[in-house]
Amino acid sequence: MIYKKDANFPYPILTNSSFDYEESEFYFDIELIENSEYYQFVIETTLTSSFIKTLLDLQKVELILIVQAKDNKFYPLKGLNDIIFIPKSRVSLNKRTTLQLQIRAKAQINFSANHELSLFYIQFKDKMNVEKNGTLGFSNIITFDSSNKKSYDLFEKKVDPNLLSEIKIELSTETIVIYYRNEEMQFAGLPHPINNLYVYMGLRTALQQFVLLFAEEGDECVYLNDINTPEEGLYLKLHQLMKQKGVEEISMDNLDAVIYQISDHIITKFTHTVRGLEGSAI
Amino acid sequence: MQFKLLKSGYKKNADFYQAFVNERLTADSEFFSNEVVYFPSNKPFPIYMGVKKKGDKKQDFIDAIQVITSDYLQTSRELHFEEIVWHSYFVSCQREYIIEQYPDILESQADFENIVTKNFDWENYVYKCVLVAEYVADYSKDNAEQKLKLYNLVYDNLDLFNYIIKYPLFRNGDFVLKFLEVIDELKISDVMKAKIPNRPDLGKDERYGRRVILELNKSYPVILVPMLTKEELKIEVEKALALYYPQADSEK
Repeated sequence: MIYKKDANFPYPILTNSSFDYEESEFYFDIELIENSEYYQFVIETTLTSSFIKTLLDLQKVELILIVQAKDNKFYPLKGLNDIIFIPKSRVSLNKRTTLQLQIRAKAQINFSANHELSLFYIQFKDKMNVEKNGTLGFSNIITFDSSNKKSYDLFEKKVDPNLLSEIKIELSTETIVIYYRNEEMQFAGLPHPINNLYVYMGLRTALQQFVLLFAEEGDECVYLNDINTPEEGLYLKLHQLMKQKGVEEISMDNLDAVIYQISDHIITKFTHTVRGLEGSAI
Repeated sequence: MQFKLLKSGYKKNADFYQAFVNERLTADSEFFSNEVVYFPSNKPFPIYMGVKKKGDKKQDFIDAIQVITSDYLQTSRELHFEEIVWHSYFVSCQREYIIEQYPDILESQADFENIVTKNFDWENYVYKCVLVAEYVADYSKDNAEQKLKLYNLVYDNLDLFNYIIKYPLFRNGDFVLKFLEVIDELKISDVMKAKIPNRPDLGKDERYGRRVILELNKSYPVILVPMLTKEELKIEVEKALALYYPQADSEK
């Protein structure tokens, strides 16, 4: 369970708020990458105590990642930096989810070699032991809630009776605009996925333009980690979305693979919707 | 199987209940949003094993877990661990089945709300079954025999299981199942269920098992209880039990 309170421990503890250590910082940060199957938590930890770091190297303690939502999950880390994969069938970040690192003793720990403790503890640190499975510290807390799940507002739907074609896809500075000649074509009142073919076409158009704009001269491929982040608008949204979904490169040859990676089975959902209408279950 | 999600406001709503009873809950009904969810199956399973259900409730419990495991668990947790998804699914796709199994829901709105649209928490049987399905699938991988044994253990110790998952700290698959195995291996299931005599100070319905959980909870986080191995957990359980049940020590 995530530990928020400043509890009284019978021995010194490393947290960002306690004064047991002279200098006490224990922070971690997470970069979240996801695909349709997994969440990938890329963890980077900052820890000031060389006493704890040495114990980590000696494998006498370990860092445990706690993921708490409707229930708790514990994942031991391989070191200060690690990547933890959790299938989406086992964790949902829709609702409030909090994460924290704890330091767990894997063997009995004595504090005599700890030269970082505050004055109060120095006199009796030799006699202090933490048993196996004891806690030596807590990090900051990171919270995910629905607001972390950015919705990018990529699309706009508009009706234009003067349209020369039946539908038209246009890229504006902020969005992909789908124009319909008449309102009926938007299928109002039917399940949203019925429009997914247009969404697919829109995404493809926008990503093509992305490749044309950002590929270096003579190069057919855009390497997302190498280019300067687009400053604003539609291309920034696409860039963020692709990075978040773990896309590394994009070219005219892998547009469909990229769409699959950044969207959630839109064609399957379209198919189910049409099949559903066929049987008029919906 | 795909279906539309309900809009909020359907709970404790007499109009919604009447629409369900009178077969008016079609997909174009005002109670549904336009948001659509897809389940890979439409296989029914028992959704309630409480006092109102007759027949073999233990078998229902195990059937439910097995169907959830085989047909629903592969979906993302945003679906199979979400109240609105199950409620929408039951009223849209499982109407016939749930009426056949729980005919009272047509007679009484209270029964309908207690069986079909019950809050999705530790008191809800679908919630329990999904948790057990997830936990056991991850704990036992492909060991079918162990799986069945664990389903039985959960049902046979349901009071304790409920009590464990009420504590957020212990709502962890590894811990819950390890704990039940410890009880089984130490053969203390009956003791854990028994009421503690002559201790009016502990409250009305105090059982040994509940006190043991309480003691383990108290020792956290000085001891990271959920991360103990089974053998370490055995020692802690025996220690905690001995505080209330001195015989446990002297019998050895």
